[in-house]
Amino acid sequence: MTASMDEQTPRRRMLLGLGWVSFLISLLGPVLANVRFLFPNVVYEGESVLKLDSLEKYTVGSITFFADKKIVLFREKDGFRACTAVCPHLRCVISPFVGAPGASPDILRARCPCHGSTFDGRGQVLGGPAPRGLDFFLVTKSPDGRVVVDTRKVVAPSEHFKL
Amino acid sequence: MVTESPQKPGRGKAVSWLRDNRVVRSIFRRGYPDNDLDRAAVMFSNFFLHVLPARTHVHSLKPTYTWGLGIISLFLFVVLLGTGSLLMFFYVPSTGRAYSDMKDLQFVVSYGVVLRNLHRWAAHAMVAVVFLHMCRVFYTASYKAPREFNWVIGVLLWGATLMMSFTGYLLPWDQLAYWAITVGSSIASYPPLVGEYIRTLMLGGDTVGQNALIRFYVMHVIVLPGVMMILMGVHFWRIRKDGGLSRPPAPPSDAAQGEAAAFSPHKTYMLVELAEGKTPMVDTQAPEEEVMSWPHTVFRMLVVFVGVVAVLSAVAYFFDAPLEDLANPDHPPNPAKAPWYFLGLQEIVSYSALAGGVIVPAAAIIGLMTIPYVDRDPEGQGTWFTSGQGRRITLWSIVAVIPVVLVLTWLNEHYAVRILVPGASQIWVDLLNPGTILIVLFAAGSLYIWRRTGSSRMGALALYSYFLTSYLIYTLIGLYFRGANWAWIWPWQATGLH
Repeated sequence: MTASMDEQTPRRRMLLGLGWVSFLISLLGPVLANVRFLFPNVVYEGESVLKLDSLEKYTVGSITFFADKKIVLFREKDGFRACTAVCPHLRCVISPFVGAPGASPDILRARCPCHGSTFDGRGQVLGGPAPRGLDFFLVTKSPDGRVVVDTRKVVAPSEHFKL
Repeated sequence: MVTESPQKPGRGKAVSWLRDNRVVRSIFRRGYPDNDLDRAAVMFSNFFLHVLPARTHVHSLKPTYTWGLGIISLFLFVVLLGTGSLLMFFYVPSTGRAYSDMKDLQFVVSYGVVLRNLHRWAAHAMVAVVFLHMCRVFYTASYKAPREFNWVIGVLLWGATLMMSFTGYLLPWDQLAYWAITVGSSIASYPPLVGEYIRTLMLGGDTVGQNALIRFYVMHVIVLPGVMMILMGVHFWRIRKDGGLSRPPAPPSDAAQGEAAAFSPHKTYMLVELAEGKTPMVDTQAPEEEVMSWPHTVFRMLVVFVGVVAVLSAVAYFFDAPLEDLANPDHPPNPAKAPWYFLGLQEIVSYSALAGGVIVPAAAIIGLMTIPYVDRDPEGQGTWFTSGQGRRITLWSIVAVIPVVLVLTWLNEHYAVRILVPGASQIWVDLLNPGTILIVLFAAGSLYIWRRTGSSRMGALALYSYFLTSYLIYTLIGLYFRGANWAWIWPWQATGLH
């Protein structure tokens, strides 16, 4: 470096600036590629469409808790409903719903063991830090007469799969 | 310069030969440093010692000034590197093997349980000691110019230490590991816009599984230790460049009056000291306040190292590191508790994940990093609590926070937003909870003290003491006063504590 920046012609300064900008832009590609690399395109984490037992196995008024599938199945006189068993606060698995058999969803209670959020049978948050209620999923029937819960499709908590 | 040193009287020929032969000379160049010239030279010629100055200020060696916390942190890190490298020989980061490898280390591998205990207790100790070191630096106002940036690096090192713990406790693949990471990665998904991306990046998917385990393993054994070593290198190097450890400004002496007299005639300066002009070392340090680093500093460090290893060994021999049941993705333990150093955070997260997991930690880290740039007044550097007034403000800040936190906890138990208004919107829960209320109160309190005393240092002392005390109280609440479903219990009712 013999000449200081002041002594350089504006043209040289512009070229130098252009060089720096190009250099920084050229860095952007590899950096973004490496970040993108870390986001997997395929994950192997189990099914999102869950096939349960045949319809008649679930008696009216029963609430079945599937800890491994992380869903709760409600068999009410209007039909089937299913909600997630994962707390929307920080993804702990909630405890099974408590309440008399055939009780109204408003009376049912489930709690999360991690931070104490409380939910009713419609999935609404009654207390604790959960930012929203439990998601309810679309319930259908398979051709061989079994209950199918599609966890990719969220529906209103009041929506029943009618027989 | 290579000359045969004369044989000392009373020392065997064999010992002399062992200490001073052609091979030893090829490694150490000079003989054992038994004169001041060699004692200075060894600090330049030895790779491991060259980070130390040839001479150390006596104030830097005062145990009641530093409590040796920085150097203890370093030695704990060294112990962790050693034990961690050995554990890696037996541990495979696979969801099918990880837990049984831990059991093998406990019951099958010779000394496996001792190494695992050492690793675990050293990690816990490091979290505590690094934090205490930060408190020491804060309360002695050592973050002030010219050490502002080294304080920022220190805050990063504290964060990296916590990340090391966080990534480390997924590896045993037990219940604590699985659910702590499930909860921790979910907290990471709360920042607006980028949250879900951060969570996916951490877990390599949507649930804690094999992808998450290998990611945490790579972070724990390669990425984070590498980052920490670089940061530690810069941290230590800057201590030297910023003029050694902080100390109170030297009283104005006759020698420091005139311009030329700033240089001591009894000291030899290197070219770099003169080339940079006025350096902190040149004008504040008189030769009579210095001692040779060999042996005064080096052997003190050795004693501290031996002490650290001795205490850790004793603890590792008598107390086994806990290992819970095999990770079960179907059922979280109840209560599901994080390790003690995250329990304060878990308590605030139980009020609101956004407040406890994002707003409060972000405010704390940003606050810590910006403190040296806000509190610029050089007042009180190198003196614990700055002054009598600072001592009183610190004490009263600590005392004042205790009832405030307890009242807010009581209010939250009985009059939380969702108790008064069941099904209240989340925005009210995020706005009105002990975490956010405390941030506002702390900001107001420290600003009031700043205005009242006219000293930014007094405001900073109050603010730091507020955060420190409230975090300690929340840790104790999480540890002893929370039971199943995170409900309030009394310590004598404690169930399921690990």
